[in-house]
Amino acid sequence: MLLLEAVRQALRLLWAHRLRSLLTLFGLAWGTASVIFLVGWGEGVQVMLERGFFKAGKNMGEVWAGRVSEEFTPAVDRRYLWWTIDDVDLLRRRAKLPELIGAESWEMLPAAFGPRAINVDVRGLDPEAMAVRGVALAAGRGITREDVEHRRRIVVLGDKVRTRLLGVDGGLGSWIRIAGKPFKVVGLLEHVGTQLSRDRLEIDEHAWIPISTMQANWPRWWTDEFVVSKIIYRLRDRRLMEDTEREVRAILAGRLGVASDDIEAVGIWSSLKLLNKLPIDQTQGLMFVLATATLVIGGIGVLNMMLDAVHERRQEIGVRLAIGARRRDIIVQFFIETFTIALAGGLVGAAFGVAGCALFASFELPDFLPVPLLSLRVVALALGVLSCVALAAGVIPAWRAARIDPALTLRME
Amino acid sequence: MSAAERSVPGPLLELEGVHKRYAMGKQGVDALRGIDLRIQTGELVAIMGPSGSGKTTLMEILGCLSRPTSGGYRMAGRRIAEIDSDGLAKLRGERIGFVFQSFNLLPRLTVVENVELPLAYRQVSRSERRERALASLDRVGLGHRAQHLPMEVSGGERQRVAIARALVNHPSLVLADEPTGNLDSQTGGGILALLHSVHAEGNTVVIVTHDAAIGAQAQRQIFLRDGRIESDETAAKPMDSARLPLETAD
Repeated sequence: MLLLEAVRQALRLLWAHRLRSLLTLFGLAWGTASVIFLVGWGEGVQVMLERGFFKAGKNMGEVWAGRVSEEFTPAVDRRYLWWTIDDVDLLRRRAKLPELIGAESWEMLPAAFGPRAINVDVRGLDPEAMAVRGVALAAGRGITREDVEHRRRIVVLGDKVRTRLLGVDGGLGSWIRIAGKPFKVVGLLEHVGTQLSRDRLEIDEHAWIPISTMQANWPRWWTDEFVVSKIIYRLRDRRLMEDTEREVRAILAGRLGVASDDIEAVGIWSSLKLLNKLPIDQTQGLMFVLATATLVIGGIGVLNMMLDAVHERRQEIGVRLAIGARRRDIIVQFFIETFTIALAGGLVGAAFGVAGCALFASFELPDFLPVPLLSLRVVALALGVLSCVALAAGVIPAWRAARIDPALTLRME
Repeated sequence: MSAAERSVPGPLLELEGVHKRYAMGKQGVDALRGIDLRIQTGELVAIMGPSGSGKTTLMEILGCLSRPTSGGYRMAGRRIAEIDSDGLAKLRGERIGFVFQSFNLLPRLTVVENVELPLAYRQVSRSERRERALASLDRVGLGHRAQHLPMEVSGGERQRVAIARALVNHPSLVLADEPTGNLDSQTGGGILALLHSVHAEGNTVVIVTHDAAIGAQAQRQIFLRDGRIESDETAAKPMDSARLPLETAD
């Protein structure tokens, strides 16, 4: 009865002073909603960034050949470097840390289908490179080992190239011309969307052909070697990023005859590195602190309200003590009252926070905008912080209430 | 608590040299200056005196709402000084029923919930609470008002509710502080009659009042002045000879 009575008492108190309750609980509601919304938003940012950065390939590392760095050679002798398919083979044999290693070449070439012609980012890939990119097929098939062996003139089109070039007339099995040469469309890629990290055009604007076909049709003018524009690999484990880079660079540097720490000669880029450098956790932490500060201020409002209530009800408290309530009964009562009131505010806030997240999620927003993510963890976090604030706000009123002199009941006639 | 405990020989209340000093400014105020008093089980006592005589302070001490600054107080043989604050709360809940001048009902609880309250602090089950509270309300003739709020009943009825609350634990001692102070004389008379009938059932009743007419109805009248007992008169009725103070065995 006493527990229930305290809860009822709290609700009555809220109802009896509706305007004051509204003002007092606003802070708590706002704070709780802020925690849910802002921390959720932080999670959303993280997810959005990861998704955006990994669209070009999850946990992907990209290796470029540059020039021998000035630190290692006189300026006059700064060779230009490039990879060949043999370098990729060597790397595949020797490197233990990458999960998968692929080779990629590119050219910007005109592509035509019927009367339409556009410039396309044509990429020569091997099956491994396609796997590292990790883009799903919307239809058809990808590039196979046989395609590479037979230098087949087949092409897999990115989403935008498909709509712009093929339009509604063409599809799987259509023949297009790339720089005048006929290629058969065997696969169509899923829509990838805005990439936060990319090289040249986005994947949606790519046309993928076997890397051997690329080499056979558009060899480099300066060499007869089978040139590879870029080596890409996938990390076995995110935590091995640095080690993997070191291993890959050491192997390739040895192959080129440059120093094993020449980062200009063997350039490695990975979006994971950038992602790790972004202060996402700190931002999220800051938001949490700001939202919590709002909650604490809301808690002070409740504290104030309860101190008022204790003062107004000291007669009642005296009566309770006189008829047999122990001090701890009074403490528990006021704790529960404070907690109920704070919880009421918090639940309203939580409802708003959840509704806010749901509202954002229901909009068709561009995929590079972060959407606050609603998770049980975040809601639990918000209510946890709220509980701490509520408990803290309950201490002083409860203590004050318990210190009331029961003899007061006789004096306040 | 039992009949055996109630029938412990010796006085129910026993004060020896009780002083009470309130800290006020540098000097403090002496509200009680050495009270020696024994009240036997089953007595009806009126404590009277002008304002400032220490009536209320004495009432506080008798009701275990505050402790003497010095001097000894025993209730049913137990030394109050040796009981901690939780123990005093228990004692108040189980053995003392308070009736206040301004009734002191909790305005947001119904009549029956008000009467139940002392039981609630003693972990009595819900159904037993309700049963005993209703019985107690019937005792004061207000069974039909159980579900009303205090505001919805008259002043006299409120005081009856307060008496029902005081009786619900079957206390050894009923302490009434100016129980008719806020009532007209006719209603007040009804309340006094009720307190007399409570006494007639074997309860010890102590009434604090400044009204000589009320005091005159009591068997025993104690007059306070300046924190001391000025007079302590027991009406000469034959039945009272059996209640003369006995020397306790201890």
